[in-house]
Amino acid sequence: MRSSHISVIPTAQKALSCGVAVALVATLAGCGGSSSSAAGSKTLTFWDPYPQYTTGSVWDKQVKSCAPKGWKVKRQGMPQNDVLNNLTTAVKSDNAPDVAVIDNPFMPTAVDSGLVTDLASAGVSTKGFDKNIEGPGIVDGKQYGLAFGTNALGLYYNPAVLQKAGVDPSSIKDWQSLNAAIKKVVDSGAKGITFAGITGEEGVFQFLPWFWGAKGNLAHPDSQAAKEAENLVSGWVRNGWAPKSVATDNQSASWDLMLTGDYGFAENGSWQAAAAKKKGFKSIPIPAKDGGVAPVPTGGEFATLPFHKKADKDRQAAAAQLISCLTSDSELGKTNEAIGYLAAKKSVRDQQVKNDELWAPWVESVENARGRTTDIGMKYESVSAQLSKSLQAALNS
Amino acid sequence: MHASSVSASARRAHGSPARRRLHRLTPTRWAAIGFAAPLILYMLIFYVVPLVQNVSMSLHRYSRRTFVTGEAPFVGLDIYKEVLSTNEFWTTLGQTLIFVVVSIVFQYSIGLALAVFFNQNFKLSATLRGIFLVPWLLPPMISGTIWQWMMDADNGIINKFLGMLGIAPVWWLQAGHSLWAVIIANIWLGIPFNLVILYSGLQNISKDLYEAASLDGCNGWQKFWKITFPLLRPVTMITLLLGFVYTLKTVDIIWLMTQGSGTSQTLATWSYAMAFGKGYSSTIRYSEASVVGTLLILIALIFAFIYIGVQRREEKA
Repeated sequence: MRSSHISVIPTAQKALSCGVAVALVATLAGCGGSSSSAAGSKTLTFWDPYPQYTTGSVWDKQVKSCAPKGWKVKRQGMPQNDVLNNLTTAVKSDNAPDVAVIDNPFMPTAVDSGLVTDLASAGVSTKGFDKNIEGPGIVDGKQYGLAFGTNALGLYYNPAVLQKAGVDPSSIKDWQSLNAAIKKVVDSGAKGITFAGITGEEGVFQFLPWFWGAKGNLAHPDSQAAKEAENLVSGWVRNGWAPKSVATDNQSASWDLMLTGDYGFAENGSWQAAAAKKKGFKSIPIPAKDGGVAPVPTGGEFATLPFHKKADKDRQAAAAQLISCLTSDSELGKTNEAIGYLAAKKSVRDQQVKNDELWAPWVESVENARGRTTDIGMKYESVSAQLSKSLQAALNS
Repeated sequence: MHASSVSASARRAHGSPARRRLHRLTPTRWAAIGFAAPLILYMLIFYVVPLVQNVSMSLHRYSRRTFVTGEAPFVGLDIYKEVLSTNEFWTTLGQTLIFVVVSIVFQYSIGLALAVFFNQNFKLSATLRGIFLVPWLLPPMISGTIWQWMMDADNGIINKFLGMLGIAPVWWLQAGHSLWAVIIANIWLGIPFNLVILYSGLQNISKDLYEAASLDGCNGWQKFWKITFPLLRPVTMITLLLGFVYTLKTVDIIWLMTQGSGTSQTLATWSYAMAFGKGYSSTIRYSEASVVGTLLILIALIFAFIYIGVQRREEKA
């Protein structure tokens, strides 16, 4: 919660306007769906979790340029969690948007609650996209959402700090060599590492590379692997290598700490790659416990077609066309560049890397990334909550 | 609906008792109903309906799916039993009571001390009083964030200050004692409210009483306990009641500082987290959140009744 926290501020405002205890649940409907345009008008409503991209931004223009002939697009950005919650109330009162872009771990819940519909039957082509990235959008063999791209987590480092401490980043191959490198950085008088350990999904997202890197399995969230990964990250806090605020920092707050230039390392996402380049930071993939690259969770969102009780064939076809356009071979690259993601299609991704070497260090992580819900589906919600609780306990110990 | 109104008008036409009752409604009474109608409608739409909805949600088992389909089964008081049988509820209730009681005791006593202080009407007292209102004017979004910065364990200004005094840094927001951190911030936030109400209460106490007391040889301390405090009783009671309700439902400042993690979870933040899938779990628990919400209303109501009871007794006395 330091500087511009796009994702936090609207959530907190929500807390103020809706979260007052007495009227808490009662106002659910009131805080929910901002209604879509009146049926019959030729305007498609489009919800996405990118409120930072305002009207006139590259992303905004990209979405609007994909409007089918004779249609207009009305875009609305809102915080990550709110897309799903607002969609829930909107589908119930039948004023859902025509397209909703949903964060990937929410896909099984959205499908289970009947919020989104089958893409193939609406005429959206899902062929040629990477299986590991599309996994969370496929439930019982049907694809309910299409991820245009993905982001991945990596380990950023500040070359200036590392050089002063005499650390060679290429020496970091496993947890042991990572710890040795952080220790050297701290011994040189700099600060060690930042990451986001905040309660909830965001903290778990950042924890999973360590959990999977210790050969953890989401079906067993209380395994030895979880203990080892918790010991690793909480050890950094106990040693004073990581700030104590990691327990309440989200990803942008922890990035702000890295931007001070005092830290050697930061675990953060590929969406910061451009900002990192400006600062002269570089990145390496996150190492697994015993060497090699740790699997990271796929990040990013799925374009979905929400459910409407009163189906309007023309509207749905137009919405499907909009998604098809954004994900077509000719547009997919632009769509991803607009939000700083790597495309979910190898040919397009290779082109992105060719155009901008910024992406090169991320390709391996993206291609080895795992969907959080791909294997365990809806169960992920409770697994994630369990991981979050024990991670918090570890970070606060 | 339609049929009954038809039969009602039929009865009216035949001079039934309904017609006579209608006849008794004089134009002024109609006007009265007309004037009250907007208020009644407003109360129905914005108070009664949400309240009923809240209670109804706590009696049906809602999930995200059943919320959408509207098929949530009626389960009576089952969810109340489930919530009340968890350890988490009782721990959270305990934390809530500590949060409320400690906050109010300090807010009130500091607010009262400041009110008495400013009541002396010295030079600059109006300006200084204005400055004390700042916490009230700031959006909680800002004050919460600033408190979080100030309490940062590694770089926070509070720890820097303690360091200058030679005191070891405190990990303010650590789960084990984050409750105390949010209480400190909340006390600061609540002082202006107490100050303003108590100050206006002091203005209503006649200066003659103090003069008389001075002539009788009372010192300042005696004047406070024999005159100020007893005469402030009605104002004190309403301040404490309002403070209680405000503090009980506090979500914003706690959420901004700790997301209600660790010991800083209160019934209000717990309910918020469950209703919107925030905090540890993104699973939505509408029913459990409604149960906690309803219990919060009940707790506030109990205190409101106590207040009314005490007030009645005073009026009689």
